[in-house]
Amino acid sequence: MASDTKMIEKKSKKVLEVRKLTKHFGGLAALNDVDLDVSESEILGIIGPNGAGKSTLFNIIAGFFPPTSGTVMFKGKELTGLRADQVAHQGIGRTFQASTLFKQFTVFDNVFNAFHMHYRQPPWKALLHTRAVRQEEGTMKQKAMEILNFTGLASQKDKLAENLSSGYQKILAISIALATNPKLLLLDEPVTTLSPHMVEAVMGLVTKVRDTGTTVLIIEHNMKAIMDYCDRIAVLAYGSKIAEGLPREIGENKEVVEAYLGVMG
Amino acid sequence: MFGASRVAIAVSIIILILIPQLASNYVIYVVILAMLYAILTASYDLLTGYTGPLSFCHAAFYGLGAYTSAILTLRTGMSFWLAFPITGVWVFLFAAAVGYPALKIRGHYFAVTTFFFGHFVYLFLLNSRKLTNGPLGLRGIRPPDSILGIDFSSLNASYYLVLFFGVLIVVFLHLFVKSRIGRALVSIRENEDLAESIGINTSFYKVLAFSISAGLAGMAGSLFAHFFRLLHPSTFAWMISEMIVIMALVGGLGTLIGPIIGAGLVTFFLELVRPAPELRFILLSIMLILVLLFEPKGLMGIFWRIRGEK
Repeated sequence: MASDTKMIEKKSKKVLEVRKLTKHFGGLAALNDVDLDVSESEILGIIGPNGAGKSTLFNIIAGFFPPTSGTVMFKGKELTGLRADQVAHQGIGRTFQASTLFKQFTVFDNVFNAFHMHYRQPPWKALLHTRAVRQEEGTMKQKAMEILNFTGLASQKDKLAENLSSGYQKILAISIALATNPKLLLLDEPVTTLSPHMVEAVMGLVTKVRDTGTTVLIIEHNMKAIMDYCDRIAVLAYGSKIAEGLPREIGENKEVVEAYLGVMG
Repeated sequence: MFGASRVAIAVSIIILILIPQLASNYVIYVVILAMLYAILTASYDLLTGYTGPLSFCHAAFYGLGAYTSAILTLRTGMSFWLAFPITGVWVFLFAAAVGYPALKIRGHYFAVTTFFFGHFVYLFLLNSRKLTNGPLGLRGIRPPDSILGIDFSSLNASYYLVLFFGVLIVVFLHLFVKSRIGRALVSIRENEDLAESIGINTSFYKVLAFSISAGLAGMAGSLFAHFFRLLHPSTFAWMISEMIVIMALVGGLGTLIGPIIGAGLVTFFLELVRPAPELRFILLSIMLILVLLFEPKGLMGIFWRIRGEK
């Protein structure tokens, strides 16, 4: 129904608009007047030294805590003030910096559980386990398997999440987020600590996710992954956005290089 | 696996149905107590075993239910059959009002809060003499009115009444935890942040689990009040909350069947050491330490280990 208007606007459509976002923790400004636009179906990398405010930005977008001031608009709708679960319902999926998983569940159950918000049968019927409810659960199980096939974890489905290698754990975290059927996916350090081989695998998966029409925002320290796979890059330092552009432009930006060298030196 | 456990459950229910025909009044009395405790541990498991928050005030809801039901029937002449559901709903709502702010507190702090809340309820029951008759106890509670010619003042009828509602409550809890709502609760227990990120309203579900758990404990209290017909605040003191925690842990939290078995075993164990009442809680504590040291998943953990699962 609404797809006609969608088609027309698609090319340049802004999915996410962050305006003047500021977050103070006590006296510390973790984020300072940050503006950021994310277009549909792009992979936007966010880089910056430790403590630059990258994760704070994610946590505010995802509703884990409110900004001190500023707004976040997602597909024209204001997100500011929503709880994390409400943001998820709007179509934003996320992963966490550490491997945040349901560690005691099998890989399959991790993904199956993440279908929580897609059930349409009323809760009282769910309690009675009516036929329609069991059918619906069957559909969700099928969809969970489809996701595992898509992300390449199908062969691991009966393993406990805690027994997976760190690479597979990162892929599982993405699989869980995909089960929420996100239009925007926030990935917090999806390849940090991984071997070059696994980095290729995870970033390949991220590209595949983008190709299905999902917009991706990535925080990452692995510069090769960021440079090779992101369409655009935004740089944060000390809570402010100091640069934004194509990977090549960012690589040649003096301020960016100084921000990194300044920290390293 | 499922076949075997279904047979075990069917056999247990048949044994429970036959007990009044075979056993002495004393045994019947003890099994009634065990069944009431089983309702308490099973409902406790919904909150602490499945959802995660560690609570030390379950006996408070048990007591609220017992006194609510007793006072309703004594003061207004209401029938047990009406007071019983009203008590369940009232304790559910009361717990929702308490749980909504309290569950914003996480982890150990929540556990400490429940501990003091439980003690507060106990002190309230003890000191509100006009309402509860305080330390003198509430007497003259009537048994449930007879239905279809069944006289519920008899021990056997009381037994079947508790068994009936016990099975009903456990079946309800089983359906609950096996549903998608149960999966949401377990997700919250495993990782609250991740649960939120997949769209689970964690505060809503925590309050829901807390309130249902409390409402069912309240109904167990109502059954107790009209079976025992004499209420004293000490029946609902914090020691009883601790006992419920220990029973559930001994059986195995988060398994539903474990806490039920734990309630049965600990009740009978406490009867065995009845000659030495001062030893009872010392032995209970030793039991708790042994479980936590060697098998935190309780008897169900041992059972799984023997079967070579997990």
